[in-house]
Amino acid sequence: MASVADTRPALRFVSPTASRELALIAAIILVCTVFTVASPYFLSVNNLVQTMRAGLELSIVSAGMTLVIIMGGIDVSVGGIVAVSAIVIGKAYQAGLPVYVVTPLGLMAGTALGAFNGFVTTKLKVPPIIATLGSMYIFSAIMFLVIGGAWISGLPGTLSPLVNGWLGFLPASALVIAVVYAIAWVLLRKLPYGNHLYAIGCSEPSARLVGINVDRTKILTYAFLGLLAGLAALLYVARMRNVEINIGTTIALEAIAATILGGTSIRGGVGSLLGTLLGVVFIRIMQNGLVLMGISSLWETVIIGSLLICVLTADALRNRNNPRAQ
Amino acid sequence: MMSRLAGLRAGDPLRARLFMLLALWLVAIVVMSLLSPYFLRASTVPYLLQYVPILGLLGLGQTLVILGGGPGIDLSVGSIVSLVGVAVGGLFVLGVDIWLASALGLMLGALLGFVNGVLVNVLRIPSLMATLATMFAFGGLALATTLGSPIGGLPAEFGWLGQGRTLGLPNAFLFVLLPVAVILHVMITRTTIGRHIVACGNDDRAAHLSGLPVVRIRVGLYVLSGVLAALGSIIAMSWFLAARPDAGKGMELLAVTIAVLGGTHIFGGTGGVPGTIIAILIVTTLQIGLQLANISAAWQLGLIGVLLIVSVSRLSLWRRVKGARA
Repeated sequence: MASVADTRPALRFVSPTASRELALIAAIILVCTVFTVASPYFLSVNNLVQTMRAGLELSIVSAGMTLVIIMGGIDVSVGGIVAVSAIVIGKAYQAGLPVYVVTPLGLMAGTALGAFNGFVTTKLKVPPIIATLGSMYIFSAIMFLVIGGAWISGLPGTLSPLVNGWLGFLPASALVIAVVYAIAWVLLRKLPYGNHLYAIGCSEPSARLVGINVDRTKILTYAFLGLLAGLAALLYVARMRNVEINIGTTIALEAIAATILGGTSIRGGVGSLLGTLLGVVFIRIMQNGLVLMGISSLWETVIIGSLLICVLTADALRNRNNPRAQ
Repeated sequence: MMSRLAGLRAGDPLRARLFMLLALWLVAIVVMSLLSPYFLRASTVPYLLQYVPILGLLGLGQTLVILGGGPGIDLSVGSIVSLVGVAVGGLFVLGVDIWLASALGLMLGALLGFVNGVLVNVLRIPSLMATLATMFAFGGLALATTLGSPIGGLPAEFGWLGQGRTLGLPNAFLFVLLPVAVILHVMITRTTIGRHIVACGNDDRAAHLSGLPVVRIRVGLYVLSGVLAALGSIIAMSWFLAARPDAGKGMELLAVTIAVLGGTHIFGGTGGVPGTIIAILIVTTLQIGLQLANISAAWQLGLIGVLLIVSVSRLSLWRRVKGARA
C-alpha cells in the first residue's frame, strides 16, 4: 500500500487497507445491530452458523480472487470453473469412485481450468477480462453439454462433515475458511511469490525488468484460484448433494464485489485478505438480514451493485489527487 | 507506440480484418447449410435479419465505447435493455401512450449511459469495474421492481416495429439498424467528431494536449451506448409485445464479443462499423444455423467463447509481428 500513499505525507495512523478493514468492521457491526433490532431470529447461533455455511464457497473463491486482483488480473469465469468441477465430481461419484479419488480429481479439474485462463491471458496475450469472459462461455457450454437439463442428484455426502460438522464448539466450516485464508496469507505475505504478485500489480513492465517470471506467476495464480474453485465445488456437492444447472452463476461477481469492498484495488498492487473476508461477511450478512426482514432476495443484486458503486466512487474521490491511480 | 501515418495506414488493418471476417462468414454459411437443409433458403434471410437489430444496436454502441479508448467497455448494456423495458412497460401500465413511453425510455437509456460515463471518465473508476457494478444495479432494479414477472399486454400496433415487415425485410432492420449503422459509419469516418473519437482511443494524452475534450467525448459515447441499448430494448419489446425484466441477460457479453470480433481493438483507437456489422451477421448466422440444425444451444455459447478469445488473441499476435508494439 505504501506505493499508493507515496505522493502524500506519511502521516497516517493506519494504512489505507487497514482503514478500509476498520470501516468494514464498523459497517458489519452497524448492519448487525439494525438486523438484531429488526428481527429476533437474526442474532441466534443457528442463523449465524447457517449464514456462514452458505458463505463457505464464496469466501473460499474470494481468497483466490483477491490474489488475482492484486496481481492486476480478474477472473469472471470462476463460476464456470465451480460448475465444471462440480460436474466432474458428480460424474466421478456416479461412476462409483471413492472419495479419496474424487477429491483430487475435482481439485485437479479446477486447477486445470484456472491454468487454462492463465495460459490464455499470458501466452495468447488476451486481456484477462476478455479471456475469462470467453472461457466463461466455454465452461458453461461444457456444463450444458454434459448435464443437459437434468440435475446430477443423490450424490454421497461423504465430505459433508467439513461443512456441517462441529469441532467441539467450533463449526468445521469456520475451520475450512481459516485454513484456506491461512494458506493464501502465507502465499501472499510470507513467500517471495506474494511480493511478486504485488509487484506485477503495481507495474508489470517493472516486474519484468526486475527479473520476475511474470507469465509463470500469473498462470500459477489463476491456477490457484481454479484450485480454490475446485475446493468450493467439492464443498458445494457435499452441502447440496446434487449438481444443478444454475450452480455458480453469481459467485464470480459476488467474489469480485467482496474483494473490492475489502479494499483491494481493481488496478492491482493493493489489497488484503482480511479485507476480503470482511467483505464476504458483509455481503452474506446483508443478504441474510434482508431475507429475515422479508425483503425480496431480488433486491440483493441492486444492493451489491449500489454498494460497489459507492465504494468505487469513494476510492476514486480519495485518490483523485494521486497520479498513480489515474 | 500507437503512432500511425494518419488516416492512410489506419485503414489497412481494418480492411484486412474485413476480408477475414467476410471469409469467416462464408465459412459459417457453408457449414450451417451442410448442417441443416433448411438453412440455405430465401426465407432464412428475413428470419435472420429479425434477430440482428437488437444485438446489432448493442454491438454498435459497444464498438463506439471501446473505440473511444480509456480502455472503455460497457458491461451494463444488457441491464439497460432490461431496465428500460421494465420502465417503458411500467409507464404503459400507468396509462402513458406506448410511443411516448418509448421516447421516455430512450431518455432513460441516455441517463443510464450518462451515469456510466461519469463513473468511468469523471470519477476515473476503471470501466470494467464501474459498468460491472451498474450491470448489477440496473439489472437488479429491473428484476426487483417487477418481482421477476414480465409486463405483457402491450398494444398490437406497437408490434409494427418489431414484427412488421416492409419489402420483406423486418422494419426494425430497415428503419432502425440500417440508418443507425450508416449514420455511425459516416460519423466515424467522415466527420471531425469521429476523428476525435479515434484520436482519444489512440492516445488520450496526445488528444488532450491537442485540445480535445477527451472526457466529454467519452461520456458522450457512453450516453450513445445507453441510447442504443434503449432502442434495442424497445425493439425487443415490440417484437414480443411484452417487457421481460431479464430481457438483456447475457447480451453484454455478446455485444463485447461482436465489437471485438469486428476488429475493434480492445484498448481503443482501431475499429469501425463495417467490421461490427459483419461480426453481428457471423454470430447471428451461427445462432440461427445451429437452431435450424437442432443442435444444443450450448454449442453456441462455447463457439462464441472461442470466437471471443481467438479474435482478441489473433489481433495481438498480428500486432506483435508487425512490431506495432514498442
